[in-house]
Amino acid sequence: MREALYLIDAPEVYVVPDFISEGYFTQEVIPRELELTGPTTHVHGKTIHYCDPVGIHPSMTSLILQRTKEVAPNVPQEQSTLFIVGHGTSLNKNSTKAIADQVALIKTLPECHFAEVLDTYMEEAPFIADWATLSDTPNAIVVPFFIADGLHSYQDIPVMLGFEKDEGQAASQKEVFRNNPYQLRGKTLYYSAAIGTEPMMADVILDQISTFDSNHVTLATPS
Amino acid sequence: MSLSQLLHDAIDSGVHQIGQIRILTQPFRLHHIDDVLSDELEVHTDPDDAREIGLYTESGRYRFTKGELSLKKGWIFHLKSIDEVHQALDLFYPASLGIWRALNQDTLRIQHLREKLSRQTGMYRFTQNISTKGAQELVQKVCGPSNQCVKRILWKIDEQTPLEPSEASEFNGILKDCHTNEAIPLLCQEACNYFVSETRKKVKEEFDASQS
Repeated sequence: MREALYLIDAPEVYVVPDFISEGYFTQEVIPRELELTGPTTHVHGKTIHYCDPVGIHPSMTSLILQRTKEVAPNVPQEQSTLFIVGHGTSLNKNSTKAIADQVALIKTLPECHFAEVLDTYMEEAPFIADWATLSDTPNAIVVPFFIADGLHSYQDIPVMLGFEKDEGQAASQKEVFRNNPYQLRGKTLYYSAAIGTEPMMADVILDQISTFDSNHVTLATPS
Repeated sequence: MSLSQLLHDAIDSGVHQIGQIRILTQPFRLHHIDDVLSDELEVHTDPDDAREIGLYTESGRYRFTKGELSLKKGWIFHLKSIDEVHQALDLFYPASLGIWRALNQDTLRIQHLREKLSRQTGMYRFTQNISTKGAQELVQKVCGPSNQCVKRILWKIDEQTPLEPSEASEFNGILKDCHTNEAIPLLCQEACNYFVSETRKKVKEEFDASQS
């Protein structure tokens, strides 16, 4: 990562962690490697602004709603529950905060008409494995809150939802996102790829930079 | 001077190679150094394509470090400007131009192995326990063209302890006996993350050996 500053001529740099939440890497490893001491650091002739990770930006809500329209077009929101799935761990309460915050935000949006919006987790209650009993609606739309597709979104969550077996072909070869909808446990389930694969993520990166500029006075005032 | 201008001047003065890539001018073209005589190369005009080409080896294995001596063949870039050449080269060999410029300007921040390991945290914190003998062995096991790395090592074990002479420590970052004035060397200013992860294994081996 320390090579990154040699890539550029620009004297001013914004760093946006492509991470879904705050944690060890965003709070310790990246600052350490880039020798950052605060929101703005002057180091090795450059000014570096360290933004929040993409996953905690409020505009992630737009991506989630966009993704639900893509994965379940023409499915009435009023008859659907939106499940946002995170990893969750009993070791760190902060790991679920980003998702709980997004759920709270989505519920306040005027364009959100879902019967319910629920944060659920792989390894922490409320468990995504209990999706069928967590809501009363006939439709369920499930969006994994991860930066990239991998074992969790290809295999682990599908197994917990009940439409994939914990064996068989390589996880990356499974077409779990292309076989919607699934008829399971008396409901119709729509399953999305990881939210970080949404092309609009590029806009969230830029939003995070705008937010940084709004929250910090970064420009030198001419004397 | 911008990096693109630096590259432009370097090419003007006779530089035509970096890593496993040959640079041609009028018009700008890039291809694998082992594809000189091939006339069946896939033509690319978007410098961004370099990102995909550099991801996997010929056999489809992921190249976990861009300095790996495993760039696949069979492609040629036809590019419009020096900026596009710069863009493609930075995707093949990220930051290599900037690091070369910093070395020539004496502003490169070289971090010796002990410093690099002492800044590690989490599961890599214990890498700082590696013995000097173990670190020297690891350089010869992990670095250099015989181990698929094409970078010239600039760091030592620590300020007082240079690397022992070996192919890895003596490689100059330039392939195929190209003259030093005609190539941009690939440089290693601090041990890479792969080296750190291998150090972790080595430390465990040393610990296990000390317990038996």
